Amino acid sequence: MDLGFVGLGLMGRPMVLNLLKAGHSVRVWARREAALAPVVAAGAVACESLAAVAEGATVVFSCVADAPDVAQVADGVAEGAAAGLVFADMSTIAPAAARDIAARLAERGVRMLDAPVSGGEVGAIAGTLTIMVGGDADAFEIARPAFAAMGKSVNRVGESGAGQVAKACNQILTGVGVAAVAEALNFAQKSGVDPARVREALLGGFAYSRILENHGQRMLDRNFKPGFKAWMHQKDMRIVMEEAHQLGLALPAAAVTAQMFNALVGSGMGEDDSIAMLKLLEAMSGGAEA
Amino acid sequence: MKLGFIGLGDMGQAMARHLLRAGHDLAVWARREASAESLIADGAGWCGSPAALADRSEVVITMVTGSADVHDLVHRGDGLLAGFDPGNLHIDMSTIAPATARALAADYAARGIGWLDAPVSGGPTGALEASLAIMVGGDEATLTRAWPLFDILGARTVHVGAAGAGQVAKACNQMIMVAAIEAAAEALHLAAANGVDVAAVRRALMGGSAASRVLEVMGARMETRHFDKGVDARLHHKDFALCLAEAHALGAPLPVAAAVAQQLNALMACGGARKDTAALLTVLESMAPAAGRGCA
Repeated sequence: MDLGFVGLGLMGRPMVLNLLKAGHSVRVWARREAALAPVVAAGAVACESLAAVAEGATVVFSCVADAPDVAQVADGVAEGAAAGLVFADMSTIAPAAARDIAARLAERGVRMLDAPVSGGEVGAIAGTLTIMVGGDADAFEIARPAFAAMGKSVNRVGESGAGQVAKACNQILTGVGVAAVAEALNFAQKSGVDPARVREALLGGFAYSRILENHGQRMLDRNFKPGFKAWMHQKDMRIVMEEAHQLGLALPAAAVTAQMFNALVGSGMGEDDSIAMLKLLEAMSGGAEA
Repeated sequence: MKLGFIGLGDMGQAMARHLLRAGHDLAVWARREASAESLIADGAGWCGSPAALADRSEVVITMVTGSADVHDLVHRGDGLLAGFDPGNLHIDMSTIAPATARALAADYAARGIGWLDAPVSGGPTGALEASLAIMVGGDEATLTRAWPLFDILGARTVHVGAAGAGQVAKACNQMIMVAAIEAAAEALHLAAANGVDVAAVRRALMGGSAASRVLEVMGARMETRHFDKGVDARLHHKDFALCLAEAHALGAPLPVAAAVAQQLNALMACGGARKDTAALLTVLESMAPAAGRGCA
């Protein structure tokens, strides 16, 4: 399939490489020349503008930082788009922002899918991302083979914005989950019990979770390299909490977790992985040692 | 002094009337002219736009809802900025984001126009009785000019710091006050769940170290279940979004404020937007009714 891709960061670059590996042709654009080199070397075609990325493409993907960036990419892409182009945004932004951009694109004949992902850089490299899609069902079918090259679990959740709602749910679960695992392991440590053995014991039971398994192990190893950076999770929790404010909806557990992410960023651990939550709890309980 | 006033809600009406009665030459502008009728009958002048109001006034006071409202009043085509002369002064007494206050102060400073952010605490009663607590951000010399006006409107004016500092103090005020309302609601809910006389508990507490203005005023509303008078909970809901946005921007943890914000969200969902914030009690009751349970 003829594809376009904008946003060649930590996530975007390996996603493009997987699209190329699956036999798709990919046109790319980036603000910085340096970002282009690794994907051009693998066969991607560098374009001069966002409009040029859209020319001749069936689907254009974006994977950028926040809603204003997505809006800007969407505008540029729409300029070069043929009628019926599918624009699939894989960034994490507010559901309301995704619906707004989709409505504006629809007026210009472009069909937008919101398709945020879960799985981090590791999942992007392995092509095993979870992709949550909102938008038109026909547009989804067109993009599905390309999604399949980047992710293992690809699901259309509902209409426009539904993918971002699913991602917000994902961030509530992972944010609160990381905090819960960090609290449990710190509790074990401060109680004089080996947290590694506690984790091992719990993995067989009802408290089993992917987070206890993966993040829990990294906490035990004190490997705080990202992964998923704490400041990005903080940003995602802000999106969740602002949406809850708009809806007049109580999210008490997520609210506390969002404050812990604030503290992580405020104490200079924003560039660490989210599991630095453990260090925060240790600091609140008198240090790392029992 | 030639004064302008915008924002003739519950509190603004009372404040404007105090200024008028103190002998100031006051004019007003409002989106709906009808809201100005009673003030005009009392001798206030009317202007057709914020710019016209700024043009005839030495000082304009605004008392509106949110950051966006104040920004619009200043920067719209026929806004205050278009009408002010250098040396004039805008005193904003609304509750808005500190960042918005700082930005507007800078916009004005570039044109030689003064700015004070001067949010208040005390609610409609405080406005009516001219007993407001006024917290001011801005420079000292500008505040000196405005001080006689603040003396008319409030019982206590404190210069907190540079532009925006008044709004920071107001955010702190809201966090403490609404958290105290939630604490009062939880305590009275616990008393009721135990089958103990809520009024007696409140009376007992008012004699001790948990005594507070909130327990006195809001506690009484909870006890008598009068939630229709006071301050609309939707305003506190709005204020908490400001506090938590600051917390996010600064990387400052506010765990209790965050929990209280969720109770306010729930109150919005329960149809409490225009009830007094004492109605936070009803959120607890919707989570688990107090009747028929006990610790025994």
